[in-house]
Formats: sequence, structure tokens, C-alpha cells
Amino acid sequence: MVNFTVDQIRALMDKPTNIRNMSVIAHVDHGKSTLTDSLVSKAGIIAAKNAGDVRFTDTRDDEKERGITIKSTAISMYFEVDKEEVSAIKQKTDGNEFLINLIDSPGHVDFSSEVTAALRVTDGALVVVDCVEGVCVQTETVLRQALTERIKPVVIINKVDRALLELQVSKEDLFQSFSRTIESVNVIIATYNDEALGDVQVAPEKGTVAFGSGLHGWAFTLRQFAARYSKKFGVDKDKMMAKLWGDNFFNPATKKWTTKGTTDDGKTLERAFNMFILDPIFKIFKATMDFQKDQLFSMLEKLDVKLLPDERDLEGKALLKVAMRKFLPAGDSLLDMIVIHLPSPQTAQRYRVETLYEGPMDDESAIGIRDCDPKAPLVLYVSKMVPTSDKGRFYAFGRVFSGTVKAGPKIRIQGPNYVPGKKDDLFVKSVQRTVLMMGRYVEPIEDCPAGNIVGLVGVDQFLLKSGTLTSSETAHNMKVMKFSVSPVVRVAVEVKNAADLPKLVEGLKRLTKSDPCVQAWIEETGEHIVAGAGELHLEICLKDLEEDHAGVPLKKSDPVVGYCETVQTESSMVALSKSQNKHNRLYAKASPLEEELSKDIESGKITPRDDFKIRARVLADEYGWDVTDARKIWCFGPDTTGPNLLVDVTKGVQYLNEIKDSCVAAFQWATKEGVCAEEKMRGVRVNILDVTLHTDAIHRGGGQIIPTCRRVTYAACLLAQPGLQEPVYLVEIQCPENGIGGIYSVLNRRRGQVFSEEQRPGTPMFTVKAYLPVMESFGFNADLRQATSGQAFPQSVFDHWELMSGSPLDKGSKIEELVKSIRTRKGLKPDIPTLDMYYDKL
Amino acid sequence: MFYVIGLGLADEKDITVRGLEAVRSCRRLYLEAYTSMLLVPKEQLEAFYGTKLIVADRDMVETESDAILEGAKDVDVGFLVVGDPFGATTHTDLLLRARALGVPSRVIHNASIMNAIGACGLQLYNFGQAVSLVFFTENWKPDSYYDRIKENSELGLHTLVLLDIKVKEQSEENLARGRKIYEPPRYMSIPLAVDQLLYTETQRQQRVLSAKETLAIGMSRVGSSKQRIVAGTLEELQGAGDIFGPPLHSLVIVGKRLHPLEVDYAEESAINKAEWRRVAQQVYGCRLDE
Repeated sequence: MVNFTVDQIRALMDKPTNIRNMSVIAHVDHGKSTLTDSLVSKAGIIAAKNAGDVRFTDTRDDEKERGITIKSTAISMYFEVDKEEVSAIKQKTDGNEFLINLIDSPGHVDFSSEVTAALRVTDGALVVVDCVEGVCVQTETVLRQALTERIKPVVIINKVDRALLELQVSKEDLFQSFSRTIESVNVIIATYNDEALGDVQVAPEKGTVAFGSGLHGWAFTLRQFAARYSKKFGVDKDKMMAKLWGDNFFNPATKKWTTKGTTDDGKTLERAFNMFILDPIFKIFKATMDFQKDQLFSMLEKLDVKLLPDERDLEGKALLKVAMRKFLPAGDSLLDMIVIHLPSPQTAQRYRVETLYEGPMDDESAIGIRDCDPKAPLVLYVSKMVPTSDKGRFYAFGRVFSGTVKAGPKIRIQGPNYVPGKKDDLFVKSVQRTVLMMGRYVEPIEDCPAGNIVGLVGVDQFLLKSGTLTSSETAHNMKVMKFSVSPVVRVAVEVKNAADLPKLVEGLKRLTKSDPCVQAWIEETGEHIVAGAGELHLEICLKDLEEDHAGVPLKKSDPVVGYCETVQTESSMVALSKSQNKHNRLYAKASPLEEELSKDIESGKITPRDDFKIRARVLADEYGWDVTDARKIWCFGPDTTGPNLLVDVTKGVQYLNEIKDSCVAAFQWATKEGVCAEEKMRGVRVNILDVTLHTDAIHRGGGQIIPTCRRVTYAACLLAQPGLQEPVYLVEIQCPENGIGGIYSVLNRRRGQVFSEEQRPGTPMFTVKAYLPVMESFGFNADLRQATSGQAFPQSVFDHWELMSGSPLDKGSKIEELVKSIRTRKGLKPDIPTLDMYYDKL
Repeated sequence: MFYVIGLGLADEKDITVRGLEAVRSCRRLYLEAYTSMLLVPKEQLEAFYGTKLIVADRDMVETESDAILEGAKDVDVGFLVVGDPFGATTHTDLLLRARALGVPSRVIHNASIMNAIGACGLQLYNFGQAVSLVFFTENWKPDSYYDRIKENSELGLHTLVLLDIKVKEQSEENLARGRKIYEPPRYMSIPLAVDQLLYTETQRQQRVLSAKETLAIGMSRVGSSKQRIVAGTLEELQGAGDIFGPPLHSLVIVGKRLHPLEVDYAEESAINKAEWRRVAQQVYGCRLDE
């Protein structure tokens, strides 16, 4: 039974005030997909009785088997708000019908690039927090991602049934636990808050926090209860909501409200939240679980909840589920919350345009995005590729920010490397079809106006992973997404039968397309490398590759880790390299970049596209750079955005600007393949101190300068005590007390460092946080499970790069050995190049 | 003895008698093949000289000079250079290294584009600094040559513009990675050179060059029987298309200190003789016989 038609949805798509684009985000296993089911059941796509068991948005077999979400899945729903509630919506609205485009995203950190892609196309987020486990590492990560994308959050505290059934907590304890969790969420929000987004702190009394159980299909916000009680008390609904949370007490004797927990004569009062909200819930639970059905039925009658005859015959949890679901249907309360508190595209795009669009804020595209105008030029961002049933083809999944997309007209398809006015990374093609994404189904639609999420057929072959589609000749790109995870774990794959090689190559292409984060490339040695965010991510990717994208049997190497090359001091002397024709000389020194600065570059806070004067100011104020130097940063590298800088500190040299491009090109390659192990470089600043150049341009072309600049970079690094950085995970492990010993012994064996160990208040669970080198993380989960008899649940997320002690130039050191093994693996000469290969004497 | 021998401009027969004698005495002969080129293939040279030649590309000359100079103390080694050893090409570094190794060396001169350019009718005395014009790329458009032309033109001197040739050049990626994979050879044509000159003028706007009011002479395959000389304004040369024929091309920008005799001599090769005289008279202020 679907209680809406595609035509109804299509009609709503023309009303950007009545659309809500939202994602569901959370830590792994906090119940996103299950909760999503109750929303979907409300919209009538799955039968209400199956909600909580089906996981509609987990479309893949392995998702069902493992019980985790791997890919984000979108679904469009039609929802009608009670006409009385429309007045509560504090933004422009047109009628009481709403279109909700929901994206369920994975919680496991390895897949958080999927979350990033989901956030980009939505304006609001439903943050799910487990009421027992509280705010976890991934809750923080996704919330931070949401806030930096200017996504407004609302929260649901989930799995309340567990607190009631398993932990048997008291009402006051439960209230305290709720408020602690809300406080931790608000701390994160305060930390990453963006002024343009306004105050987005969540609070139950404002209606931005819900409580419930996705599994049982019930949830509530204070609004529902306020509606019930406001009539009874004759108080305005909003005032009633405020009274139902925090230190508000009702004295039944005097029938007066107070903010003190005790009466004047010393009697303890019950908190309004406990008395009016938790009490009926606790009573229903108790009556049901104690098999006092009569009591339950009379209570339900009072609450105006009617059960069907066959539902009355149920027992225990099944009965509880039905009763609670009829009492507090999750779908209604959550959709109410979403519609009332999350912004419509029209509201959101007004403040999101600055963070979304790279071009000037006054061009036609920016104005179209700002106004969410379906008649403006088309601007559509494709955030990911979704495989179709047709093997090897993909739907381009994205959001229309401006204009209207439809099949037929030629549009510009701009990849991430497109530069306005140039022709690189640009195709002009037409869309073949537009479709609505409905979980495991798609529904064709004729066109799709601004503010909506859409799937496109026929543009997949022109885009790698993401990109901007536009009809405006002058449009710049939408900003590229920054992922919080990086592909640090790699394996080499090869085919078992040589004849399958072309299939592998094709399969790798499809794999990189289907996942926002995975990378695949061919090494100089001819090896095919696949890199992913973690062991699990890689495992899933390789399985997809073997069974689906390539469809041929594969051999996989053990996973290896990518390192970064860096320097630890300033070059001990000035490095000099001469060009082959001896007419040109470059003098340079390398020095380490401040770690914070490297991080800011990696997180996109400082970018090559910044205005150079503003950037210079920031570098001078925050990192103590000389302003003149800071203004003369030639480039970032590798890939023109990486955390290494080439700086011109020469004084009055002629023709310097004519070799700049050659130096920039050289620096990209030098930083991509560092001097010691040909790993990428990180945190290195190279200063060009002086140059001697031939007067005639023909003797200082790229052919002369590029190799020279690369050599001088290498020489400068070799003189600056080169070092190696390894990736380190932050591991968060939850475990009961008796498992702690096992955790420590496993971490010790693997160079892990515990930096926090806390008991979660009100529960027997401990949370241990530690740093663990990625290198040592292979098989960590299995090892840990064994050592703690399966009680410990670790979550590893890439945290930082850690400098390894020593230098690869120390003969006989461990680190030299490591570098040699990397070189051997890459098919290079095992010995690290010596200085005289790059340094020329005068 | 290490001989550096100029081959002249066109074909195998341009070598001097002294040069030929030196060639015949050499045990090993290298042909430098990247700063310029003869208009005939290597095999034709070999047939005429009666010995085998080793082609020395940029990489070899610049990085393997020791191999070239090996044994030159005891036997004769020859290094053949198109044009003159000290002409447009620069092989001082090689001679310096020979000196450092204690190898005696001798240079045998020949005609170079630097003097053969006189064929266009302009007097060599009135030439200023020579400049090279490189292929512009999307991001690399060096324009320091513009200042040289400006200096020359302020003194009223002519400028010889040598046009880029790319033989065995690597792409940027291959350069950076140190891979020896080469792009197909390219030679700059006169119309392209004029395009680039006028582009630089639009960037710099110091009125050194003007499409309609600057005279220039384009020369192709100087010194050979198929030599071509075409005179005109920059605009005329730009539109002259295929008239110049195959490489090599060179260009002279005419300076203001223009002698009537020069005008008369070059008029023979002008695309539009009337226009040539008009600009020489009105813009250059040259007094011509009526």
C-alpha cells in the first residue's frame, strides 16, 4: 500500500517551501536504518507491521547479512502535517503537504565518505543517538561534517526501550541520562557552529529533540505531549512545552507550577517531564511486561488509543510494540519535527550558497542557487554514483540547486578539475532521463526543478565520481567535497587468469565510480592498487570488485599502509642544482611546515584558491610567517592542494615569473613521489632562495627547469633530515569492565596508546580511547574480540599522521629498513638515493 | 684533438674544406641534432663524408660529455654543429669541459643564421640583440624577449628572432618523472611567431610592435637552394600562410634606422610592394627615390 502517487510528489517538487531534504546520520549501530523504516512506513511504502524488521534502505545483500548500512540510500516521501501544526513552522510555507527527501547513510567510519556525499545534497540532518551508548566518536564526526556544510541538525535519542527493558533505570535517572546526552550534542554543536547557520543548539523544549525506539516504532517530541496537556491545563502549547522539560515541577496538591524540586513543607516533587511524559510510558511498559493486560487496556483507553481485536490477543513485547506504536507513532512525531524544524531548500540555499558555490556571489548561477529559482540557469551537483541494474552503468545522484533539469537539452558537465573559461574536464552532453530515487526502486519523472534530489541517466560516463552540471556558460564549479577519511589502506590486486586482465581494468573503473572515497591506480611496476579508508571498507570494495564490477577471480595482497615523507629540520646548507645545459641554477632550502598548518591545508581551511593577501594575513597571524614570504607562495603540492608549499623568497631576480610554471609542475611531481620512498610528501616547505637564469627563454624552458627544480627539492629534503609519517587511527572501544584487561594487552602488542578510559554514567560500559598505528590495525578487531570474549566493540577512524622516530638516512635503523621494503615493493632500487645524485657543486 | 666543426646552413656540401679535412681525420664523429638541423638527412652527410655519424641529442650533450670527450687526448674526435659553433647555438660548456680534462680543442667556423640573415638585404651592422621565441603553452608565455626587442627598437636596430624547434622534447609529466619518452618534433612557423609577437604586444602594450606599421622579413631555409625571403608588415606575414614552406623559419623585425638601399633591396621580396614602400616612407620616415 503506497499512500501517495508519483504525480503527487512531482506536484510538490514545484513548491520549494514545502520540501525538506534531510539525511539520517549517526554512529554505527545507533539505529538509523531501523528508524528510517518507521518514517518510510508512515509514508506507506512498507507495511507498518514490518517496520523495524525490514531495513528498507539497506538494499544490498551484504548490508542485510552484516546488519550494517554500506551505501547511502535516498527515498522521497509525501507527508501531510496536521493543519493546526502549520502555524508552528517558522519559515515560509504553502499548504500542509510536504515532500521529504530522506537519505539514510552508513554509520561505520569506513564509509563516512558516503555521509559526506549525502550531506551535500541535504539541508537538514536527523542525528540519531543511542540512549545507552550516548555520543560516540562517529556521532561527533558526522555532526561536525554536517555543521561545516551548514546543515541544521535535529536529534532523536533512540533505543529508549533498551533503557527501560534491559537497564531498568528509574525515571529521574533516565531524565538525567537524556539531558547529559543532549548536553554532549550541544557541546559539539557549539564547537563547530557556523554563525551563518544561526543558533542550532538542540533542546527538547523547542521540539528539536525526540525520544523513541526505532525498533518498536514509537517516538515523541514534547510537542505531542504539550498538545495533549495544553488543553487540560489551559496553557498555550509553546509554554506547555517549556514546562515539560528541565527544572519544572507540578505540585498536584496546590495545582501550581514551580521551578523548585521541593515544596515549602519539604515534600519532594516529581519533575514535570517524569510525571507527564515518562510516567505513562513506564506504566505501559510495566503493565505489559507484567502481563497485566486489563490495566494496560484501561490505560490505553484513557490515552485514547484503540487496539484492534487481534492486536489485543498479542502478548509481551509484541503487544508492547503495538501499544506504544499506536500511542506515540514514530513516523508522525519525527516527520512533524523534520517539517517544523528543518529548513526548506528555499530557506537553506540562501545561506548555503557561499559555502557551496566557487564563483562570485553575484553571477547568474549564484543568484539562481540563492533564490532556489527553477527558472534560473541549471546548476546541479552530482554527489555520487549509484549502480543501476544495468551492469556497469550508474545513476548520477545529486541535487538541483538552481534551474530545472530535464532530458534533452545539452548541458555542461564540469568535473572537479574544470576551470572556468578553459576546456579541461568539460563535456557538453544531454541527460537521457531523470528519475526519482525510492530506495530500491526508481520512478521516472519528466523534469526536476531546483531544491530537489534527483537521479540522472546518461551522464555517468562523463563524470568520475562527482561534478557540476549547468546550463550557464559562465558557471563556476560547486565546491568539491572534503572527506573526513582518507584512503590510507591499500592492497594490490591481480587476476588469477591472465586473460581476465581487461575485465579487472574495467572493474576498477566502475569501482572508483561507485564509491566516493575509494581510489585505484596502476603503479610503475604494473601492479593494480586499490586504496580504501579501512579494512572493512577495503573488504567490501574488493568483494564488489570481484563479484560485481570485474566479475573475475582475483588474488589480493596483504594490506599495506601509505606513508608520508617529511623533513624534520631546516636544510643544513643551501641545496643547489644546475640545469642540464648548465645555464640555469636553482638554490633552495627545505624546512618542516607547522603541523597545525598542514592540518588546516588538509581540512581545506587554507587553500590555494584563497585570496593570497588574506591567506598571507592568516599565515602571519596564526603561524608566525613573514608576510612578504606568505604572499609569495607559488603553489601547494601534490595535486596543487596538498600540505606542502613552494615559496619564492628570492630578491630581485629577473625572468623569475617565466620559470614559475615549470617549478610548479616540478613541485607537484616531487611532492607526489618523495625522495626517500616515492611516497607522497607532507608538511614540507621549500624556499627558492636564489636562481641564475639564461637571458634567452629558449634556454630555460620546461625541459631545463622542471628536472632541475625537482632535483633541488630532493636535495633540499635530503639535507633537512628526512622523516616518515605513519597514519594513526583513533580507536574507541566500548566494553564492560572485565574486558578492559584484554583491551590493554591487545593494544600493547600493537603499539597502541590509551589516552582515555571512562565509565559511561549509569551503565556498566567503559569507553576506552586509544591511538593505534594503521599499520598495526590489520586483524585488530578479530584479535580484540578474542581477547575480550567478544565483548569489546572497536571503532577506528583515521585521526592524524604521526612522525616516526629516526630518519631513513640513519644506516641500519628500523625506519631505513621500512623505506627499503617500500622501495623494493615498488620495484625501485632498494637503496635510498644519495645527495650527490641531486646536489650539484658550484 | 677535439674538433668542433661548423656545418653551415643547408646541406652536406656547406662544410668548409678545412672542416672536411678534420672530419676525415676523426676517429669518432658526433652530430649535434637538437639546437638546429640541416635540411638533409644524416645518411646523406655520411655518404658525402664517407664515415658514420653518432647522433648526439640534448641529453647526450648535456649529461654524457665525458663519453663524447673520451680518448680525445690521443685520437681526433669531431663534434659537428649545424651553423657555426659559436653562432646561435651555445656549446661553450662542452669546450669548458674539454679544457678541464686537458683535451686540446679546435673550432672550425662556418656560416651561421647570425650572418646569413644578411641575405634579406638588411645590413648586419644594424642588428641588435638576437632573441629566441619559444612555443607558448597554455600557462607558459615568457615575454622577456619583448624587452630586448624594445631596447633594439629604441636604438633603431633590427632584431633577429630565432624560432623555437622542439626535437626530442619530453612532456611535462615525463620530464618530472624523469622518463625518456619524447614528443614528436615541432618547428615554429613564421605566422605562428607573428601571432605570438602580437599576443605579447596586447599583453604589454608598450607600442613596440604593430600589426600594420611594423615591417618584418620572414626567411625560410636560409642558405639552401630553396631559400625563401618574404617581406611585409607583421599583418601581411601573419596572413601569408603556406608561402614560407617547410622549416626552418626565421624572422627579422625591421628597426627604424632603415637605409633606403635596404628598402629597395627587400622590396623585391615584398608581398605588397606599394604597401612596403608606403610604410617605409610614412612610418619609418625613410626617404626613397620616387
